[in-house]
Amino acid sequence: MKKLLMLLMLLPAILMVAACENPDTKDKVVIDFWHMSPVGSPTFSKMRAIVNEFNNSQDEYFVKGTGFSFWDYWDKISLAISARTAPDLGLSTIDDVYGRAKGGVLYNISEMIAADTSENNIDLDEFRESQKQFARYEGDLYALPFTSTARVLYYNLDILAEKGFTEADVPTTWSELKTFAKHFDVVEGGDIQRLGFDPTYGNATYHGWLWQTGEDFFDEDLNPTLNTETHEFVLQWIKDFNSEFTRAQLQTFGESNNMLGIDPFAAERVAMIVNDDGLNQKIVDAGGTFNYGVAPIPIPDEDGIRVNWGSGFSIELYDNGKNDLARKEASFEFLKYLMSEQTQIKLAEANGWIMSHISAMEKYTADKPLLAKILVEVDYAMDKVYVPYAPSWHGNDWQPFYTEALEGKKTVKQALADARAHYIQKKQNWEATN
Amino acid sequence: MQKKGSLSKLKKQENRMGYIFAFPWIFGLIVFGAFPIIASLYISFTSYDMISAPRFIGIENYKILLFNDSIFYQSLGNTIYHVVLAVPLGMFVGVVLALFLNSKIRGMSVYRTLFYLPNVVSIVAMSLLWLWLFNPNFGIINQVLKPVYDLFGMEPLRWYADASTSKMTLILMGLWTAGGSMVIYLAQMQDIPVTLYESAEIDGANWFQKIIYITLPLMTPSMFFNFIMGIIGSFQVFTLAYIMTSGGPSRSTYYFAYYLYDLMMADQNMGMASAMAWILLVIVLVFTMIALKLNKYVVYLGEEN
Repeated sequence: MKKLLMLLMLLPAILMVAACENPDTKDKVVIDFWHMSPVGSPTFSKMRAIVNEFNNSQDEYFVKGTGFSFWDYWDKISLAISARTAPDLGLSTIDDVYGRAKGGVLYNISEMIAADTSENNIDLDEFRESQKQFARYEGDLYALPFTSTARVLYYNLDILAEKGFTEADVPTTWSELKTFAKHFDVVEGGDIQRLGFDPTYGNATYHGWLWQTGEDFFDEDLNPTLNTETHEFVLQWIKDFNSEFTRAQLQTFGESNNMLGIDPFAAERVAMIVNDDGLNQKIVDAGGTFNYGVAPIPIPDEDGIRVNWGSGFSIELYDNGKNDLARKEASFEFLKYLMSEQTQIKLAEANGWIMSHISAMEKYTADKPLLAKILVEVDYAMDKVYVPYAPSWHGNDWQPFYTEALEGKKTVKQALADARAHYIQKKQNWEATN
Repeated sequence: MQKKGSLSKLKKQENRMGYIFAFPWIFGLIVFGAFPIIASLYISFTSYDMISAPRFIGIENYKILLFNDSIFYQSLGNTIYHVVLAVPLGMFVGVVLALFLNSKIRGMSVYRTLFYLPNVVSIVAMSLLWLWLFNPNFGIINQVLKPVYDLFGMEPLRWYADASTSKMTLILMGLWTAGGSMVIYLAQMQDIPVTLYESAEIDGANWFQKIIYITLPLMTPSMFFNFIMGIIGSFQVFTLAYIMTSGGPSRSTYYFAYYLYDLMMADQNMGMASAMAWILLVIVLVFTMIALKLNKYVVYLGEEN
């Protein structure tokens, strides 16, 4: 009787497990692909359609696509990689491929491309060398550039027109930018209502401005170069840009934008801003009705270099140490599909990103003049160097010193000196343990 | 009915069933409790970037943290500041609320529910709510305080946006959840025999004297419990700062647990993060032991015979 009861209790569970078998995956190699289009996001259905198209195009492999929001994605992928439970394919940041390749968690893509004799093999000439160099470890590719982000100067043509300016008046140098921006500041009752430009807003970064002078944050041995006159000049320029306002006024204005959950440019609260191709998609998604354009970011008046921070996602094949050749092969087939010209265009349409495939993006932007202009800037983009002792050197490490300088809590010189001491200490500590 | 001589068999059977029922808990304790604790102790003596295999480096991580890491002491200082202010303030508000809610007024259960309610609100939602309330520009708190600012000719406080007030802002925000400890105080308050109050009243004690000489001394066990829990919880303060201030401005709310998190996630330095976790354990242990030593002097445990 007891056994019968047990059997009756187990039966529903057995039936449920049996019912779980997916006929789509039967007799197929199933692989996982992590992306950034979670269920409920505007891009989810388009991303699913791209994955489904691959699944329907052949009967050997089945890709299970899983989307996470951009903000959740990074912790999840990092932990999955370290736990050796990473998906077969996933997105990551291209500037730190080196660390993962060195750690042995990525498959060597160069070897796979070399061994592939099919007609649809990946054509590496279609991807920029400036991006591929970040994906190499000991001469071989361990990732491929997936997207190609570039930063540009967005300007609101309607706000410009209010003061009688047109696209032809958009500044090209730092001094022009400052003079031009002041035309559009609006202050009421001590509160900033609109700002012409601020060099800390949007995607404008300290290292981005610094690169335009020809100087980098680190030297070739990855020592911080923060004690130079150029650093002081750049930081002082950023600090003084809106010096007629108090930092509190600027912060409050910036915070108000953040609290409202809208981009200040999309909300027409700034006339110009530095941002990437994502902002264009944001304005489109929000149904923005104002006229705007993009231009290269203004450069220093003397010896300025046309360069912008061009980060991008990489696509990687994760080696979880299981030596599963069937999954590895399936992953490479899906990678070939994702990196093909056609799919890259579809991915750009789905996400609003500029993808890494050169020909695909030329075709995609042919009838999109604004995106075409951003695409031109991709050729002037450079990525931040990977610093093993401070992988987040531009973020958590730098921001407190940057803020202290901007708020006037420390002089520019002192903030830079303190930041330099911080990086040097980190380097010493890292070297002592590695 | 059991057959003769089957007592030991029954015992074994009962034992087996006991283990089966306890298994999920034991399994959880070993896999999700003991194993990570032991693993983190080992990792704290290694260089581990979460990608390559951990490499044993002895006590180097501890040496660096204690003798060559300025951020470590900055984050520890911020945390101690938080503990020193947040714990007593939290206890004070909890006790005051409990005293208030121990009265016999109409709709008391509604008030009790209302004060406890913040404890069931997600901390993320709570942080975002307070971010709005404390907003220096259009937050309701600064709007309410505007007459005070005008009276004293003060600039409006910038709360979490200013390094000099950011820590205090987070402490004040944390008081919103004092209802959690209030429930414990209230439970003990209601256990105090009414006869004590009656005899005090006969002796002519007023409301304040009854609180000072009866209620508070008899509440010391629950106050002590909340004190210990408060210390442990406050040393682990993280979420509020992570959501509201990102550790800023100028690292003023960069707490110990936040630095630990950054070492792990941003610097991919799991070895040092684990060492920090063990240092935190020792610090909390020391504080708790000191508190336990004080136990006999401050906690009323009944009259000795």
